[in-house]
Amino acid sequence: MGAARPRPRLRFADLLDETLAGVFARPARAALTTLGTVLGIASLVATLGISRTAGGQIVGRFDELAATQVTVSARTAGSGSSSRAAATLPWDVELRLDRLNGVVASGAVAEASNPGSLRTVPLIDPQNVTERLVPVFAGSVGLLDAVRGRIATGRWFDAGHVERRDRVAVIGADVADQFGIDRLDRQPGVFIGDEIFTVIGILDAAPRDTGLVQSVIVPFTAGQDRLGITRPDRVVVETVIGAARLVAEQAPVALNPNAAEGLKVTAPRDPARTKDAVQDDVNQLFLLLGLISLVVGAIGIANVTLVTVMERTGEIGLRRALGASRRHIALQFLAESTAMGLVGGIIGATVGIITIVGVAGSREWTPVLDLWLPLAAPFAGAVVGLVAGLYPSVRAARMEPVDALRAGT
Amino acid sequence: MSVVADPDLGEEPREPAGVVPVVVLDDVWRVFPTDPPVEALRAVHLRVDPGEYVAIIGPSGSGKSTLLNVLGLLDRPTGGTYQLDGIDTAALGDRARAAERGRRIGFVFQSFHLLSYRSVEENVMLSELYLGTSRRDRRCRAVEALERVGLGHRLGFSPIRLSGGERQRVAIARALLGEPSLLLCDEPTGNLDSANTAAVLDLFDDLRAQGLTILVITHDTEVAARAQRRVRMVDGQLAEVA
Repeated sequence: MGAARPRPRLRFADLLDETLAGVFARPARAALTTLGTVLGIASLVATLGISRTAGGQIVGRFDELAATQVTVSARTAGSGSSSRAAATLPWDVELRLDRLNGVVASGAVAEASNPGSLRTVPLIDPQNVTERLVPVFAGSVGLLDAVRGRIATGRWFDAGHVERRDRVAVIGADVADQFGIDRLDRQPGVFIGDEIFTVIGILDAAPRDTGLVQSVIVPFTAGQDRLGITRPDRVVVETVIGAARLVAEQAPVALNPNAAEGLKVTAPRDPARTKDAVQDDVNQLFLLLGLISLVVGAIGIANVTLVTVMERTGEIGLRRALGASRRHIALQFLAESTAMGLVGGIIGATVGIITIVGVAGSREWTPVLDLWLPLAAPFAGAVVGLVAGLYPSVRAARMEPVDALRAGT
Repeated sequence: MSVVADPDLGEEPREPAGVVPVVVLDDVWRVFPTDPPVEALRAVHLRVDPGEYVAIIGPSGSGKSTLLNVLGLLDRPTGGTYQLDGIDTAALGDRARAAERGRRIGFVFQSFHLLSYRSVEENVMLSELYLGTSRRDRRCRAVEALERVGLGHRLGFSPIRLSGGERQRVAIARALLGEPSLLLCDEPTGNLDSANTAAVLDLFDDLRAQGLTILVITHDTEVAARAQRRVRMVDGQLAEVA
């Protein structure tokens, strides 16, 4: 004891002990004080998390379909009834486009302008319709893959059908339902107007062009022969992810080198820009709200800590009498306000994450959470508490022990 | 349990007998810079030897509290020298004064100054908080000190549930922790009834018998009568009472 330096010391564990005791001395007050920080941190975490989730979701949808799709169609020159295509599209698009880097599949399609109504072979069946107007398309071989189509029964037409100008047809699943066609082993036929076609397949789904499921598709050669179709309306291209913009530049030239500028290309927007735009929209207001409630929370902590300092004047005097230095007093109140901020940050982060999961669940989104967010939130809360405690703890440290002892009981 | 100044301190013994007085006030002044200036202490001389039990009496406003604040290192004199355990306190900085205060002086206040949100045991343990001793040692000594004042059965109680006399005994136990050189008591019985006052005064007698140096400030003649030596304070000046 004799050799001890005359310096007051405070162990970290003891400081922690004093801090917890100080905070939990008035649990209801501490809880209400932290509420501001809880709300601020929760709204910040929820805002950042939800916009991240929503942004990820939209980009995710782009990836799924639109981001890998390029559509080329002919521009129209002139106006009204005198309008005509400024450039023509060829039918052999697979040959021209599939060589391009980044193209997965391509196909051309044209709609018949006046196909006449669709009917099956005459059969008296009261349960099924026998005649109906259905859109009719002529397509190239690659169309199925280009629209990500899926065949339920039978098959898609191939190059042989095209070359032989076979009168075959693939009908959409909805059409098959309406006409009661469910099996193809007896080679059912359908009349389009007066022309008969053999049904060789039923198209179950076509995510890129859902209209095809409600229509009849024939090879383009048969369409030219029987349905008066001349040129494709549009060319659909599936690309690998990230190649869409490149393909969009090259496709018109490959399709019609002489009049590439007469073709209109539809390509996805830049995904990054889309994401930014979405996040900007969602974020601004809520981030502002979160920051405001954080400031309000900080003021709340500062206020309550100041009141606490005034209430505990006697305690401050006593601690000074027991050998506490000014910095020990400051440290204690700073630690108490920081602890309140930290607890507020932890609870706030929890509430925020629950909100993210709740919102994502209600929208059937996948919740996306940056890992740094739940880690940074308690830290931010602690900083708020620390800053809020600065002024009150300086006030506490500046008190003269004599005055503090006299004032407090 | 010797409370004689520690011989290992390294300071030269100033007395031929080798006994370092606990308190030496030499021509101490404390003037408050108001308009006009208030001379709360005027040329005060006081020497308290180890094991003494001194009562400082005097009317209110005579400067008793100012003297106690100076003795407790809570206030600095404006003139003169104050040696505590042979250490010249004028040379100490703010932090060193805080450390010496924590180590050498035990305070007992009129209003007890117990923390209502901590248990009796924790209140006593608080005394050594700023000495950096281990918590287990502190707890042992707190239990010991509480037993010494007859409150070994109240360890986990909240101070709110204790009587005034018990509270003051808890405060005394707190002051005893850390083996202070000097027990400074400011109107220790001011808030107590006569029965509790008697109990506290008996406790002081016991402590005095164990060799503790006690300095009590009071205006209660009954309290002063129990002390072995009485000093009267009038208008900032000190005079021995025969």
